[in-house]
Amino acid sequence: MDRHGVSSRAQAVDTALAALADPTRRAVVEALSGSDRSAGDIARHVAMSPAALSRHLKLLRAVGVVQERISDDDARVRLYRLNTAALAPLAGWLEQIERMWGEQLSSFKSHAEAVHRRRTGP
Amino acid sequence: MSDDQVRAMVTLAVPVETAFEVFTGQIDQWWRRGPRFRHSGTSHGMVHLEPRVGGRVFESIRDETNGGRTQERVFEVGHVRVWDPPHRLEFSWRNVNFTADEITEVVVEFERLAPESTRVTVTHRGWSALRADHPARHGHATAAFLRMMGLWWGDQLTSLRHCGGRPRGLV
Repeated sequence: MDRHGVSSRAQAVDTALAALADPTRRAVVEALSGSDRSAGDIARHVAMSPAALSRHLKLLRAVGVVQERISDDDARVRLYRLNTAALAPLAGWLEQIERMWGEQLSSFKSHAEAVHRRRTGP
Repeated sequence: MSDDQVRAMVTLAVPVETAFEVFTGQIDQWWRRGPRFRHSGTSHGMVHLEPRVGGRVFESIRDETNGGRTQERVFEVGHVRVWDPPHRLEFSWRNVNFTADEITEVVVEFERLAPESTRVTVTHRGWSALRADHPARHGHATAAFLRMMGLWWGDQLTSLRHCGGRPRGLV
């Protein structure tokens, strides 16, 4: 990928990351990674008042990182769930670095083995 | 969340001493070229690793100016933290537009499997050190910072994928 190019994928990464640049919002995502939770439940998990939490949930919902659904047990209860599809572009970063090192090491292997063959001779 | 690291490994048919010597001393010859791997992209740049604790890891680029003179730019990646030939090398890794405290770490281990067989493992770690960081602390959220955060999240997702089966159709 061109380091300076802006692809739509890069924009998707940046949008999600901007939303996650805040520690409270990261805590929300962590709280939701195990199970879906109500707003009150999340507020307890991140030790914040439901009122203070609501703007964070609103932002996470706006960028698609979390979604709301109706509880199966009680139609009056709305639960938040993590929308992992919105985070998928981020997962690609780790794989890119891994791939970068994999390619470096295969280049290193070819070079080092050629050096060794030259030194030890036929 | 256990790991906050990226790992890559290769086994090569050379003695461990040769592996270490070539990895460090001939880094410019094997470090891949092109914009994905070097700041210099397609222009003339050299990757250097100074062989001692405190030595610099950097890329130098010679530019031709309009007047025909050359000038050199240097991009410092980091410093050697552990220099233990032929077994271990560690250096800090800081991309060009990271702030001073946005540092990750590269550990390279050279393991002798046989007289002419060596396993080299690169572990690039320290991404989670940035976890508690808030971009506001730096006054701006640079693309590079966001990329590093992306790695942390990538890691989170990798763990999620491993521990929960594939919950909710995760990547």
